Amino acid sequence: MVETFTPAVCGSRSRQRLAAAFFALGALVASAALGAALGFLGGLVGTRPALIGAVALASLAALRELGLLRLPVPQARRQVPERWRSELPLPVWSAGYGAGLGVGFLTFQPVATFWVACAAALALGRPLLAAACFALYGAGRAFMAVWPRRREPDGTAAVERLVGQRALVSRANAAVLVLAVVLLAVAPAAGAAVVSLGRGFDPSADGNTLARARMSSGTIEVVIAPPAPDPAVPVSPADAPALDGNLLAYADSQGIKVIDWQTNHQVAKIDGAVSDPALDWPNIAYLRDDGSHERLILEDLSNSQVRRVASVAAADDLGRPSLAGGRLAWHRVRHRGSAVFVLNIATWTRRAIVRTSIWMESNPSLTGTRIVWVEQRPAGSYLRLRRFGSSRTRTLTHVKGRKTFLWTTALTGRTAYVTKWTPSAGRSALLRVTF
Amino acid sequence: MRRPDELFDGAARSLSARLAAGMTRRSFLGRMGGAVLAATGGAAVAAAVKPEKGEAFHFCGHIWTTGSCPNPLGLPRIDRNGNPLRPSDGHPIDNLGRPVDASGWAIDGSGERLRGPDGEVLPRAPRTRLCEEWTNERYGLNSIMQGSWYRCCGGQIRKLVDCCSSSKKRINGDASLTGYCWDGKRVFCVLYYDSGLKC
Repeated sequence: MVETFTPAVCGSRSRQRLAAAFFALGALVASAALGAALGFLGGLVGTRPALIGAVALASLAALRELGLLRLPVPQARRQVPERWRSELPLPVWSAGYGAGLGVGFLTFQPVATFWVACAAALALGRPLLAAACFALYGAGRAFMAVWPRRREPDGTAAVERLVGQRALVSRANAAVLVLAVVLLAVAPAAGAAVVSLGRGFDPSADGNTLARARMSSGTIEVVIAPPAPDPAVPVSPADAPALDGNLLAYADSQGIKVIDWQTNHQVAKIDGAVSDPALDWPNIAYLRDDGSHERLILEDLSNSQVRRVASVAAADDLGRPSLAGGRLAWHRVRHRGSAVFVLNIATWTRRAIVRTSIWMESNPSLTGTRIVWVEQRPAGSYLRLRRFGSSRTRTLTHVKGRKTFLWTTALTGRTAYVTKWTPSAGRSALLRVTF
Repeated sequence: MRRPDELFDGAARSLSARLAAGMTRRSFLGRMGGAVLAATGGAAVAAAVKPEKGEAFHFCGHIWTTGSCPNPLGLPRIDRNGNPLRPSDGHPIDNLGRPVDASGWAIDGSGERLRGPDGEVLPRAPRTRLCEEWTNERYGLNSIMQGSWYRCCGGQIRKLVDCCSSSKKRINGDASLTGYCWDGKRVFCVLYYDSGLKC
């Protein structure tokens, strides 16, 4: 390749280096862009299905490279357009060559490894990380374009010698693919990816917007973080945020307020000894404490219809409710046991998702299809996930021991948020868990 | 006039003798041990306790092989109602292993109730009986505390209790024995209660 940058008596060494640099740049940018696109798509598909696909593909590719399976590899049997060198300026065609080879699928694919890398990028589900990983592919392409010339005066002979070692390269490639199968199978993405988002507690999420409460100079405030580049919006004093699109419900000393957090315009309020709102406009759920009992209330703010959902003695706890997809979830923790309930609002039928006389099941959050909650045991606390209609429960993450434990949760799409709290240190952090 | 404690002991001895006449020693000890310990303050029970210290198996006094009932902190120490206690000092704990106050709220080392990040007191975790609730839920059994025996451990009387069920297997996984159980039940796991009475 590098010989074509400056054919004999046509261009200086500096021209060759310039072309190589633009080639490398094109390869890096194109491969990184491919990685980012795959990572973005993976986030939509879901980490787990993509990971299963990657493991399967890597297994097939390994068998193919070991000669145990005959499989055609998708490829475009083309080389870079020769005429570009004569029709386009050097920076353009050398960068174009790099980009064409950097995306991989526009040229020959002698081995299946490229497609396994694509599947792995999908499984990552994170555009930036996938871009960084895939940029290495582009770097490899650029390296192979210039390396043979550095080793040999005759670049062609160097390439031919490399081709002569094809069998060794094939075996090494097969070994790498086998390793990839193992690593993909045990990858953290097989469970869930956990990221700390810094201090805060009581998360609430809607799409890519996250609201959290946090202590600020002795006062609890709520901070709403929309997707970049929009800035975070603080609301103070405020506690127990509940997001629903542009609307935010929160508790303060007077009761509960519902505002448009983008304009700060108040749309509703509920006065009195109320707390812990959950919002799915026009429905709002909250706790009302009359001193002797704690009651879970569901109110339709469009017609002021108020219904009582649950009631416990003041010493017991109904927790922070969650409202989404026509369902209301809450916990009931008593001295004799705990349970997480879900109410179908349309039919007004409730059922217990989990019930125990031993552990503490608490702090559920739900979407239209799934529910998460925290299970606390002596050995540690666990963030559990279940899909509606299934009895199978997954553990997304856990914290060992009793000094630090998981607490309130939020759920949106395939992303869960959970508070991690250490009472002795007064330290709370928010974790994001993608699954 | 007899001293009040002499009157009390005399009544306990009479009661013990009448009951023992109608039952075997093992079932008598099992059924009466708890009531006598609670009611008499230990005088009648002390007479039934062997003077030598109990040999330890996995906890002092337990010289058989049946495993401990499920518990929060590794040893099945209970109060007189079967609720969990911290093994090291007998402080009441909840099912999560956290020390609790008299009302069941989890507390820190200085006795203050634990609070959440928002400053509110954390809810009380469940605190349930190791035999009747824990074992029932985890193993699907209809278990109940029945027979017991006594040993001197650490200078005080320890009551060891059989958690009995109809299961033919014990918590170890192998065949269960009758032990001090009755009404056709068998020992599934064991617990213990430290009376604090000197021996």
